[in-house]
Amino acid sequence: MLSTSPSKATVASSHASSEVRMAASNSQIPGVRSHFKTPEGRYNLSHEKTHPTGLLHYNFGKVTTQVTLAHLKDKPAQTPANSAGSSGSGGVRFTTRLLGAGNGSRGLGFGGGNGFTGRLSGTSKSTAIPITGMSSSNGPMTSSFDGEGTYLIFNVGDALFISDYNSQDKEPIKIIHFNSANPVCHAFDSEAKDGHDLLVGLNSGDVYSASLRQQLQDVGKKLVGALHYNKDGSINGSRCNAVAWVPNAEGLFVAGHADGNVYVYDKSKDGGGDVPFPPVKDTTQFSISHARSSKSNPIARWHICQGSINGLSFSSDGKYLATVGRDGYLRVFEFAKELLVCGSKSYFGSLLCCAWSPDGKYVLTGGEDDLVQVWSMEDQAVVAWGEGHNSWVSGVAFDPYWEAPSPDTGAGETTTYRFGSVGQDTQLLLWDLAMDEVVVPLRRMAPSGASPSSNASANHSTHWDGAMHTLGALHPAPIRKEVPKLAPVMAHRVHAEPLSGLLFTNEAIVTACHEGHVKIWDRPGKGYALVDHRAEISAVGGPKDKLLPLGKGAILHLRQ
Amino acid sequence: MGANASQLEKEIGSDQFPANEHYFGLVNFGNTCYCNSVLQALYFCRPFREKVLDYKARNKRNTKETLLTCLADLFHNIATQKKKTGTVAPKKFIARLRKENEVFDNYMQQDAHEFLNYLLNTIADLLSAEKGSNQTNHSTNTWVHEIFQGTLTNETRCLNCESLSSKDEDFLDLSVDVDQNTSITHCLTVFSNTETLSSEQKYYCENCCSKQEAQKRMRIKKLPMILALHLKRFKYTESQNRHTKLSYRVVFPLELRLFNKTSNIECDDKLYDLVAVVIHCGSGPNRGHYISIVKSFGFWLLFDDDLVDKIDASAIEDFYGLTTDTQKTSESGYILFYQSRD
Repeated sequence: MLSTSPSKATVASSHASSEVRMAASNSQIPGVRSHFKTPEGRYNLSHEKTHPTGLLHYNFGKVTTQVTLAHLKDKPAQTPANSAGSSGSGGVRFTTRLLGAGNGSRGLGFGGGNGFTGRLSGTSKSTAIPITGMSSSNGPMTSSFDGEGTYLIFNVGDALFISDYNSQDKEPIKIIHFNSANPVCHAFDSEAKDGHDLLVGLNSGDVYSASLRQQLQDVGKKLVGALHYNKDGSINGSRCNAVAWVPNAEGLFVAGHADGNVYVYDKSKDGGGDVPFPPVKDTTQFSISHARSSKSNPIARWHICQGSINGLSFSSDGKYLATVGRDGYLRVFEFAKELLVCGSKSYFGSLLCCAWSPDGKYVLTGGEDDLVQVWSMEDQAVVAWGEGHNSWVSGVAFDPYWEAPSPDTGAGETTTYRFGSVGQDTQLLLWDLAMDEVVVPLRRMAPSGASPSSNASANHSTHWDGAMHTLGALHPAPIRKEVPKLAPVMAHRVHAEPLSGLLFTNEAIVTACHEGHVKIWDRPGKGYALVDHRAEISAVGGPKDKLLPLGKGAILHLRQ
Repeated sequence: MGANASQLEKEIGSDQFPANEHYFGLVNFGNTCYCNSVLQALYFCRPFREKVLDYKARNKRNTKETLLTCLADLFHNIATQKKKTGTVAPKKFIARLRKENEVFDNYMQQDAHEFLNYLLNTIADLLSAEKGSNQTNHSTNTWVHEIFQGTLTNETRCLNCESLSSKDEDFLDLSVDVDQNTSITHCLTVFSNTETLSSEQKYYCENCCSKQEAQKRMRIKKLPMILALHLKRFKYTESQNRHTKLSYRVVFPLELRLFNKTSNIECDDKLYDLVAVVIHCGSGPNRGHYISIVKSFGFWLLFDDDLVDKIDASAIEDFYGLTTDTQKTSESGYILFYQSRD
């Protein structure tokens, strides 16, 4: 008889350890600690947001909670809706395009955001000059939500919840029900010109754009004044897993679906009269189809891969789009040129989330290999594996507000980044990444060199036929021993349930779990800084041994 | 598709239905779902099925009934059905099983993992015996070993003299402890974590000629073609004097590599695909039900005794387990079968 299933300890000891472990996990569930320590100090649980109790327990479907931060600027100007968008509702739209909100405002940004809202707010510099439009066809508006405000938007079951970020109230101030379908993903654009700043993607494939302020001012439980795209899944009936506004491209947004397609929409175009795209000829190949009519929406379909698109994120300048999906590949596209630039396979399994560094140099991914991977645009390679999660990594984000400890000498030689990740192990992990630029070798391959025939007519869809284009730019899974490993500087169990969302604000870290609980963790010292750190991040340097004590963080000496 | 086509055939579609493939449910003979679920999972472990059918083809004149001939007859019966879907009754196999092993000779619910163990070992022994006279070589390699056997290296370092000893150990499947809200990758890592042997478990060091404290770790030296992972969901609790089920949520990906390997096989970095899962439904080891899900030609099927359904791959997440400890009953993955790609 063969010996099978060797157990690694004697029966007695394995029982003992498992008893301990059971006891530990049982006691942990009510007692998730309300603070955690980092090298820079202690983060404290400030407040929580959740859905009303008793509501929709077990109507979750298979939708997990995502969280989006939305900052509405002061004194919205009211203008009539522009002609292209007016078919929607007859309601009033607002332009939130301000010529500034003054430097005294709390500079909340929108960086991070779990890959779905990878967008930085523009720097606000000048004083506000409200443009006061006069039309108000719907009678007097409530004035309560006219002013500046910061909101957390999150989905649970068939509802979208809007909470006031700064209030201590647990319960949301607004609930929007979608009834027949569940919202899956959302995104917010603080710079939206015509007031349609909120995007919502549903599991039916439907996508809406709407004005957040209008939702707040309306007393009902329905989405109001929205434009409806891919109505009843008429263009694509698969679940919409990710939506994102295209930075610096007014009115353009993308929606990623469970069948491997990403659609590009222009909100100034009527969503009605949808003309379906021709079937994808070869589902294994990247291909782009453009709408035949210049009026129809979506304006383009990007077939990216077989299997689901799980996350997408734009670099803050809008130049690059990163996607991750079921096939385990990160892909980076030059969005305007419709070119696949580069990409890489996970160690194994699907990738679930992605996010850009504020300077656009690195892309984080997380997935079913329990790893956080750091992809370098410059090196065209995976430059670090973050090992520390005990389950799948469901959210990643750079901290655009984090300031490296004060530099001594040799500033500029090392660039340090802080990023975070959340996992289905219920843990939040924080990581420090230091790139010693002195040892960065010459690039092996320029990004443009990685995309074959990039000087050819890039906008032609026929350009994408054939396998060589995708194969040339995509790297296989890295060899394990060749990838520098990174250890977290902090690991903390932040919820009782698996986590699904993470974002950084100027004064806090926001985490969300599968079943619709959101927690706000105040940064050490809490007070918000007077300067905008984002622009300085790439310049901040410091001696490596001071930043990252050995055995905690790691300095990455990039290999050849 | 004809009027006789089953619901399953319609669901899959005649143009999509794989040629020469059969999806047959197995009749339950009174708490035999532990058996049915494992048999279905093994049937869809293609290398195993091929060897069993091959055995059937080569042993036509063999009159002596064994558990292996009964299994071969059953697989052959399924594989040669005229219809594409339906049910078969594994009557002869169950009768033989009950005759051979008194543990299974009753109508009680049995443990699917114990059955898998028993079946693979019995087949291996039968094949070794058939190979004939070279009984001296006990570790005769059979196709059961070729498919399921891997090797662990058990490394022990004496904390007194620092000497390192390592011992290899073969396995047909790995049993791993489970923990709440973890992945199978984490369970495997914990399996290989270094542990300290002290007090009553001291290690006898041959160098020191005495019992010493030692550190021990277990890593995988040779990866099997099919990696069978058993999640230890049934734990004995002394306070209740019985086994209880751990319904912990343990996620398992469709694609897997192992982290806990010895360094010398880094080059042999096998990529595994999930091909079958035996699922336990219910609250305890002696109650409840077993079903299995299998991958066949790119789609997933659920076998629940005589019932067969096509399921979406996204439905697999229903079988990870529960995130809260309040409910004890769950439908959770119990044995995972990963097949090496090439």
